Amino acid sequence: MHNRELIHNYLKSLGKYLSRLDKADADDVIREIESHIHDALEIQEQQDCTDGVTTILEGFGQPRELAGQYVEHILQGTPPPTGFKAIQSVKKGVTFSLYVSMGLFGFGITAFLVLVGFYKILVPNGVGVWSVTQGNSIIITFSEHTYPNSTELLGLWLIPLAIGFGVAIGRLTWKVLAILKEKR
Amino acid sequence: MKKSDDTNDKWDVQLRKGSLELVILAALKERKLYGLELLKFLHGFETMVITEGTLYPLMDRLKRDNLISASWVQEGEFRPRKYYQLTDNGEKKLSTLTSRWRKSVEDIEFLLNNPGPSLIHKKGS
Repeated sequence: MHNRELIHNYLKSLGKYLSRLDKADADDVIREIESHIHDALEIQEQQDCTDGVTTILEGFGQPRELAGQYVEHILQGTPPPTGFKAIQSVKKGVTFSLYVSMGLFGFGITAFLVLVGFYKILVPNGVGVWSVTQGNSIIITFSEHTYPNSTELLGLWLIPLAIGFGVAIGRLTWKVLAILKEKR
Repeated sequence: MKKSDDTNDKWDVQLRKGSLELVILAALKERKLYGLELLKFLHGFETMVITEGTLYPLMDRLKRDNLISASWVQEGEFRPRKYYQLTDNGEKKLSTLTSRWRKSVEDIEFLLNNPGPSLIHKKGS
């Protein structure tokens, strides 16, 4: 009866400290140790040895320390399994396509805005930002005719603003690309 | 005398720490053993006495590293026991560790057999 209690308490305590493991893994560990303890007790009985369950439990050490060794790898992070290289190269591919599309997107906007700016210098009435009346939309348009029912917003201010924003976005894109390149 | 015994113990502990993986894999070569059986088997050797608390977590790690596999076996009226055996990976690892171990012993033997004062170089290395 006394043995039973000692074993029960030990395993219960061990289970508590193994809680970081999957339930199935923790149960497996406990089941194996329980099996060991009972087997070892039987051997003691056969050999008329009176060491008792305490000696066996001492061999396992404190539940917390024993559990610590089982849980260690989870806390430290397991080494990547074989085949992980494939995942890494896929990840690298994603980063590469991200890099290219980021570049196309950023520099595309820059090119567009700078183009609008210069176009406004050459043909002041050919391009403009228009606000459609009764609507919430703003339209940038290349047109010889003014957009119906709308007012031009910026006029010649469009030139420095478009070029300025264009250059700013270009520089920002450049910086982001530099960071992406480092990460690759 | 006591001091020298302590030093011997420390040396044993250090040596065992480094060689335990090889010892376990070697013990399981062409054998299928459960924990207690393996422990008692090792206790039969003077330099391989380890505790339950060392053995079981190590078995767990070797299993995670896919060097050994484990399966529960119910034999007749006995309670189920978890048997361990080498995997193909384990066999390979064992042969690698074995050749490193033998090389190491060979080198140490050479040093012991060739005291100074002159420096003698081992052939083939």
